[in-house]
Amino acid sequence: MTETILDIRDLAIAYRVAQGEMRAVDGASLAVPAGTITGLVGESGCGKTTLARALTRVMPGNARLAGGQALFAGRDLMTLPEAEMNRLRWREIAFVPQSAMNSLDPVYRVGTQLREVLVGRGGMDRRRARARAEELFGMVGIEPRRLGDYPHQFSGGMRQRVAIALALALGPRLVIADEPVTALDVIVQRQILDQLLELQKGLGLSVILVTHDISVVAYVCDRVAVMYAGQVVEAGDVRTVLTRPAHPYTMGLCNAFPHLDGARGVLTPIEGAPPDLLAPPPGCRFAPRCPFAVDACRRQAPPVQAIGGTHLAACHRIAEAEALRARAARVETWAAMAETVA
Amino acid sequence: MSGMRQIAGRLAQLVFVLWAVATILFLMFRLMPGNPLAAYIDPTFTEEQQRILMARFGLDRPLWEQYLIYLANLLRGDLGDSFFYRQPVFDRIMELLPNTLVLTFSSLIIAYGFGIVVGAWLAWARGGLAERIVIPVVLTTRAMPEFWLGMVLLAIFSFWLGWFPAGGTRPPGAEYDSLLALYASRDFLSHLALPVLTLAIYSQGLPLLLMRSNMLEVMREDFVTMARIKGLPRWRVVVLHAARNALLPVATSFAIAVGYQIQGNVVVETVFSWPGLGRELVNAVSASDYPLAQGAFLMIAAVVVVMNLIADLLYGILDPRVSHA
Amino acid sequence: MPEAMDASPGAAAGGLAGRLWRGLRLPLGDPLAVFGLMIYVLFILTAVFADQLATHDPTEILYTPDYDLAADRRPGEDGYILGTTSLGRDIWSQLVYGSRSALLIGLTAAVMVALIGTLVGLVAGYFGGWVDAVLMRLADIAFGIPFLPFVIVLSAFLEPSIWNVVLAMALVLWRDTGRVIRSQVLSLRTRAYVEAARVCGSSDLKIVFRHIAPNILPLSFLYGSIAIGWAILTEASISFLGFGDPDTISWGTMLQDAYASQALSTRAFHWFVPPGLCIILVVVAGFLVSRGYEEILFPKLKE
Repeated sequence: MTETILDIRDLAIAYRVAQGEMRAVDGASLAVPAGTITGLVGESGCGKTTLARALTRVMPGNARLAGGQALFAGRDLMTLPEAEMNRLRWREIAFVPQSAMNSLDPVYRVGTQLREVLVGRGGMDRRRARARAEELFGMVGIEPRRLGDYPHQFSGGMRQRVAIALALALGPRLVIADEPVTALDVIVQRQILDQLLELQKGLGLSVILVTHDISVVAYVCDRVAVMYAGQVVEAGDVRTVLTRPAHPYTMGLCNAFPHLDGARGVLTPIEGAPPDLLAPPPGCRFAPRCPFAVDACRRQAPPVQAIGGTHLAACHRIAEAEALRARAARVETWAAMAETVA
Repeated sequence: MSGMRQIAGRLAQLVFVLWAVATILFLMFRLMPGNPLAAYIDPTFTEEQQRILMARFGLDRPLWEQYLIYLANLLRGDLGDSFFYRQPVFDRIMELLPNTLVLTFSSLIIAYGFGIVVGAWLAWARGGLAERIVIPVVLTTRAMPEFWLGMVLLAIFSFWLGWFPAGGTRPPGAEYDSLLALYASRDFLSHLALPVLTLAIYSQGLPLLLMRSNMLEVMREDFVTMARIKGLPRWRVVVLHAARNALLPVATSFAIAVGYQIQGNVVVETVFSWPGLGRELVNAVSASDYPLAQGAFLMIAAVVVVMNLIADLLYGILDPRVSHA
Repeated sequence: MPEAMDASPGAAAGGLAGRLWRGLRLPLGDPLAVFGLMIYVLFILTAVFADQLATHDPTEILYTPDYDLAADRRPGEDGYILGTTSLGRDIWSQLVYGSRSALLIGLTAAVMVALIGTLVGLVAGYFGGWVDAVLMRLADIAFGIPFLPFVIVLSAFLEPSIWNVVLAMALVLWRDTGRVIRSQVLSLRTRAYVEAARVCGSSDLKIVFRHIAPNILPLSFLYGSIAIGWAILTEASISFLGFGDPDTISWGTMLQDAYASQALSTRAFHWFVPPGLCIILVVVAGFLVSRGYEEILFPKLKE
């Protein structure tokens, strides 16, 4: 096992809202091994984007750290003084946003925006910055002459490549990619993911890839963490988690997406909606939507347990996982929940 | 090349609007009750002398013929002769225009400089005490009659404290070699101070409020968040990214404000006896010097229309999404 | 922006008065707008009860018991609340009566501007085509007319009267309202319920006045409340320049009187400051009320 570049322990992030305090991330734990792509997957609103943004410590004004740690190379990002945190930003931890259209400043040429980072944060002179910018564009497969173009002159996929080039500018150790291909069509998605994979392997990067799309996880990730209602409910290497999920939510999630090996199963939705984070249910947060929930699930939150190797899951019925998987594969199991949650 | 066609279209619109305004003005002046030459004609003039005068001003011809002559003259820049000054209106206007422009631009530059900085700062410090104090004050300045503000400043700083002269552009009797020498003189600046202050106080509200609301909007944009995630210095995020983007509509509004100010100068120039286009219009209308009034009005309208056009074009130049489409 | 406007497609019954009242949708939720409305109420009450509030005839030249001119009295002196003018007229009474002409001009001008602008916007936006083209070119021309110079020229030709300002505003200032309402109508006419009404065979007139107009009414009031202030400011400017009606007492004529009577050099602040403050108060009230309407119309602006 390689070293762990990022170790998130019991992290909690709360938003102050009109109705009170909402814990978008509530006790999430996750280890990111160096040199891998770790997928962070879950429905929208499960806290995955909040978690990703918390790692940069650039959060909306109403968000605050409510507990836990995020150890980056041994240092807790959450308690680092702001000046030191700022030294880490982009040099060590870079970010690829969801929509490159809105995340590039419309009034500057992309070359200028690259230079801003290379000179301002990387301390290069303008000549070296220029050479590095051309090199970066080469790496992501864009002609260097397009450095003189404005963001709106690029197509969606090209803009995403620009965003990746920007993220790689200073040779960071960790890249957080927040839904980097969500806004793109399937063919372009694949091109961008291939590019990302190639660069990650070539540069030995550690990547956290936030996505709602299990097929993206299966395509590029080495490891995956499944988030539900602000918590990591299952984590492990991709093959194990996707083929032998131990948490019913992961089972349901796999059913809800087309299979990657091409086997055409029936897509089955998970009935119901994620819980209200202002007043989460006691016990397991997935229990109200879980076809296998028993009394214990509704009373007590399940602890995270190791199943074997690095495969972890938080479920009371983890011992019966094999049997549950078989039942979860059937459409009726989930369809039966339709009335219960409604 | 659609850009060129768009510009051509806007130019055609500009010509159309100017023609329409000139026509409305012609009709107003010709259809008004009474003899347009009433102010010019001495009661002792004989009928023969009056007829000669009417002929000299072309007023004996049918209306449509007068109209065509009027348009033809306009195209040649001939606005007729002032009754009062007995000199070409065009020359008179050109004498006064620089005074008006100096007043307008110096006050607007101050107003925009102040408004942009304070507006950006307010957005930055939003929700604080500053906002609760500054915004009502700014709304109040927008609600003031400009000439009243001028009166108050005049009463305080000129008549009471005696810091500044009460009106005009120069001390009585002072002569200067050239316009430039006048504008560069200390005397001129002390005469300029109060009218500029009046106009600047009145005008700063628009850029300030506009800048503030744009900034608030831009600061919510992803690229501002990204700039922070990049670890860029705070000032860079605020000034070079947020403010730079928020500035686009404010810069455009500058051109519109020039046009707006030129028409509003009418009252402030009168308060401060500032020899500009606006005051001239008021005097000409009072003295029934209709060629001069007509000329001053047309000049002001031309500035308004041209500035509106410049505002449109400026936006295209400043926003790469338009200029590099 | 659509949520608030969708709330009342104007279908319910309740008579014209009821509909208008609901369409008015006074911005009572916003404290600043309520403050603005309170200023309006105060202003209207002053105008209505001017006879009771004034201590003297505002045009009367006052004398002391010894038949000396009671001129240039400071506030409070000899019982004159705000003092007297250099011709011996009571400033407080002038101020009180000035609210009448301000109210008259403000309201009529606001109604004219809002009415014409709304009609132009409705017709241009709903019918489109050449009607729209013609109306919008007229708006272009109106935007090319320098407003204050136009009022001056107009006032010079017509008999001096406070109505000149209203006329000039009606002729020129409908442009802003018209353009904004037109674009609003353009977006409204594609809404489902308008389409539905059209499919059901409702006449154009019915669609415009029953389905579209109620939804743009707050926008008309927004521009109307701004126009009140504009009218009062314009009247003041015109009077100050000497093109006003010399027989009417208005805040503008008071200021003109003060300026022409050297009140600045005698530092008679009590003479020329109060009318200015009154103007500011009423115009600010218009701003506050219009901001209230803006928040109703465009709730996203609220932070």
